[in-house]
Amino acid sequence: MQSKWDIGEPEKPTINTETEQLKSDLLTLNMGPQHPATHGVLRLEIWTDSEIVAHAIPHLGYLHRCMEKHAENLDYRGIIPFVDRLDYLAAMNMEWTYVAAVEKMLGTEVPRRAELLRILVAELQRIASHLMAFGTYALDLGAFTPFLYAFDEREKILRLFEEVSGARLLYNYVWVGGVWNDWTDEQLVRVAQFCDVMEEEAKKYNELVSKNKIFVERTANVGVFTVEDCLSYGATGPVLRGSGMKWDLRKNKPYSLYSEFDFDVPVGEGEEGRPGDCWNRYMVRMKEVIQSIKIVRQVLEKLEPGPIMGKVPKIIKLPKGEVYVRHECPRGELGIHLVSEGEKQPFRLKVKSPCFTHVSMLPHVAPGQMIADLVATVGSIDIVLGEVDR
Amino acid sequence: MLNVDFNKLAELINRNVPGANAVVNEAADTKCDSSITVDAAKIYSVVEFLKTNKEMPFNSLQVISGVDYVEWMEVCYMLAHFDLETPREFILKVKVTDRVAPAVDSIVKLYAAANFQERECYDMFGIKFNNHPDHRRILCPDDWEGFPLRKDYIAQKVYNGMEVYPDGKMNFEDREFVVRQDMIKKAQTQAAN
Repeated sequence: MQSKWDIGEPEKPTINTETEQLKSDLLTLNMGPQHPATHGVLRLEIWTDSEIVAHAIPHLGYLHRCMEKHAENLDYRGIIPFVDRLDYLAAMNMEWTYVAAVEKMLGTEVPRRAELLRILVAELQRIASHLMAFGTYALDLGAFTPFLYAFDEREKILRLFEEVSGARLLYNYVWVGGVWNDWTDEQLVRVAQFCDVMEEEAKKYNELVSKNKIFVERTANVGVFTVEDCLSYGATGPVLRGSGMKWDLRKNKPYSLYSEFDFDVPVGEGEEGRPGDCWNRYMVRMKEVIQSIKIVRQVLEKLEPGPIMGKVPKIIKLPKGEVYVRHECPRGELGIHLVSEGEKQPFRLKVKSPCFTHVSMLPHVAPGQMIADLVATVGSIDIVLGEVDR
Repeated sequence: MLNVDFNKLAELINRNVPGANAVVNEAADTKCDSSITVDAAKIYSVVEFLKTNKEMPFNSLQVISGVDYVEWMEVCYMLAHFDLETPREFILKVKVTDRVAPAVDSIVKLYAAANFQERECYDMFGIKFNNHPDHRRILCPDDWEGFPLRKDYIAQKVYNGMEVYPDGKMNFEDREFVVRQDMIKKAQTQAAN
């Protein structure tokens, strides 16, 4: 006998926008700027046909802090704290990219220990950032518990960073020529302990969330980006890898000492849903956590005592010219276009923000989705508005 | 820059896009990056060629960055080829000399990434992109005056009845504004002519 809850196959959502009459029935909704699911102050203007999204138009700029204009009046060292505040969840990676651009123009030799410490903090920061993405994404989809688990582990990384740099989120730790402070052996032992704990925790997260029936139903086959979409929109990082392209700057164009390290590049394989959907993007991040742990362990093996600061002139003046440097950050490739006219300040500093690119993909994927699925999609591309608006 | 032979690429562009006038800007310092400048009127055909050619294709647009050199403005297109064997990237530039009504052709039809990037470039430098499907400001409010990243930009005093740039907000003596003040004067006289 058919139960009264069994309503058969769900109806496929359709939008009727053919006639002017129906167009006028579209309801305009504002998602944000103060909306918990948009991860900051993103405003999405959504035109809806009942619960189906017909158009989504992102409105940016609520967190615009004129960082690029400020940078033109600051000296090269003074910009580092400003760069921190771009992606405040992955400040170490931001600093490193900017510093790498300055170092490339300056021709600085960075000591080996400093480079290894940079890789160490960058990978720990990647884990912290992905944990945040994991926790808030589950929260977006209605699961509160994973958020607490994720923050528990993330806190351990932040404590280590606090001890070594003096700040929890915005570090000013990676300096031109090296790093600001050395790690003690005791701290490195704690990093090793953290790696062991994190590996076990990651398994727990996978059991708790990744294969959870409700989670899979909410995310599999939702918000699909093909590789062609990603390339046309210039998407990078977990979004591009989630679509199935095995592209990682650390592997394909190794910078720093990454060529010495042994790690895999996880891609969306479509264990659930298909490559390019929310579930696969999420899963790439979870697999990257494991790879980052692998890199951190190798760093700990390679670390030897030595200087942590190279020779840098007291007042940095860069030669006339320009560079474009990009690094693999947790959210995608951050690019720094630095133009110098030989002054103490940069002539122009342009930040290529991965999140800005990913937000521009929302109007492409939103039409035809349910509003709740749009929330799932926005969460899965893991945007930080500090970086979008700069 | 990666895996790009600039002289060969410039020759390729000149051979296939008549009137593109591609010139290699060899970096004076070896640590800096070289780039290629093409004629602003031909940017659409050049990018179309770069995207579709077989010899040296570029399948992705990374970012569009404007630079104001006071005498002229530049739009820099960072093109990249995401390919596992031969990844490539390089900077393509166009020069815009008109400060009053600068305009170049939009390349949104070729790369979807250009949509937001061109809007940002318009927002910050006031460069108009012809045939852009959604030509609005993006980071600043729609009714904001002026283009902030131009060197001659002076913030408006009052915005919608709010005082946003009061006298004495900036300590002009404290910082090294001399260079910038010169640029402002230079650009203003240029715009006046």
